[in-house]
Amino acid sequence: MKEFAVFWGCTIPARFPFIEKSVRTVLNGMGLPWRDCEGFTCCPEKSLINNIDHGLWVLTGARNIAIVDEQGLDLVSPCTGCISNLATIKGELHVDHRKKEEVNSMLKEVGRKFTGRAGLNHLVPFFHDKVGAFRIKSAIKKDFRGMRFAVHYGCHMMRPYHALKNDDPLEPKKFDTLISWLGGESVNYMTKLTCCGQGLDRVDQHPTALQMARVKLKELKSIGVDAMVLCCPSCFLQFDNNQFLMEKEGESYGIPVLYFTDLLGLAMGYSPEELGLNQHRISVDGFLEKWERLWAARDTEKKIAEEFKEEGAFI
Amino acid sequence: MIEEHLDFNLLRKCADCGACYNVCPSCLYIEGYDPRAVIKDILKGDFEKWLHSEHIWQCLECHQCLELCYQHYGFENAMTAMRLLATKKGIHPAQVKRGWDMFVKTGRLGEPAMGQRKRLGLPEPKKSGKEEFLKLLAIYKERKAQEKNRGEAEL
Repeated sequence: MKEFAVFWGCTIPARFPFIEKSVRTVLNGMGLPWRDCEGFTCCPEKSLINNIDHGLWVLTGARNIAIVDEQGLDLVSPCTGCISNLATIKGELHVDHRKKEEVNSMLKEVGRKFTGRAGLNHLVPFFHDKVGAFRIKSAIKKDFRGMRFAVHYGCHMMRPYHALKNDDPLEPKKFDTLISWLGGESVNYMTKLTCCGQGLDRVDQHPTALQMARVKLKELKSIGVDAMVLCCPSCFLQFDNNQFLMEKEGESYGIPVLYFTDLLGLAMGYSPEELGLNQHRISVDGFLEKWERLWAARDTEKKIAEEFKEEGAFI
Repeated sequence: MIEEHLDFNLLRKCADCGACYNVCPSCLYIEGYDPRAVIKDILKGDFEKWLHSEHIWQCLECHQCLELCYQHYGFENAMTAMRLLATKKGIHPAQVKRGWDMFVKTGRLGEPAMGQRKRLGLPEPKKSGKEEFLKLLAIYKERKAQEKNRGEAEL
């Protein structure tokens, strides 16, 4: 496997260091060839920077990509926004040579060059495509048989497709497949691909952001799932923090929100604390208790079966 | 001015189609959000009133419309153009300005939470590219100013 740099972005280190811990724990635990890189800035964020100055958006993104280009690394990000922005910028420069030359003439003045050689991946499709079923299944100590998960893809994991090309943009499958490799059931639900709506919190429209969060939480509460699984700090903010805010105001959903690496890490045998699960606003205790209970029941079943066997029963 | 940012031929079809109403999360769940009303006004040249509307900030940029659109265009482009024009006129949510200011000052939208990182046993974060970014930003601004001057001279 080609060595890769992890692009943390701004939100994870600033607001959710425990997610960074979860990702680091799993990457190290799987023995993947990754490293931290010096010199990154904001990806930059599309809705904010691109709306105001497209040229600066492209230039900043090209500089970030140039850092991994120069070192011959690929790039993997646990943030959907970052990867979507970087891939869109890379795609734009690949089809517009004049713009690429222009960007490089500016980058040259700070000693950098954008080639676009580096592969850009989001963590979820990266685990699906590059790490693969064999390695993942070999690392699992305790799977999630009997548990129901609501996968929330996060728009920018696979959109825009013309830039990311990593899954079907309107009917993605890879995240669900990963859940099935972990033994869990990924339930189908109406609003599965609906945007989380967190963007509204960035334009001073908090009540509308909450309204969007309710759409999904209400459906999940009604169909009954053990947890929601996602892999985007923005979506996490929307469903963990904002769900917590709504619960404080008297609404009740009780849907634990797990990062993809939380789930994988638990299956690999890491403790909830090692994955920073105790820092989630919405308690994951109920989820963990059910998981323990299922395994305890399996142990009892096994014991009974063994006892019968000793007595000569046909089991 | 708005023609610089939008392709009116594509937009005309957009105004008649509206297929993305079925996938657009804001169309589905936010009352009063109606991108075609905006697009029709843009085509009529009567879009000024929308620059003050909260609706143009409600596009979530989820790209659902873009993927579904047979022109690969979508509502999103119209909303992006409106936001750009609004920002140029100084009409924008306060938060947008705060984010922009932080970005051009530090190259980031947030600094690592050092106390929490320490408690979690996370390593020291790698140095950011702030200084190099600021240098690049100055170069970019200079180029932009030159281009503007050249443009004015040609006129």
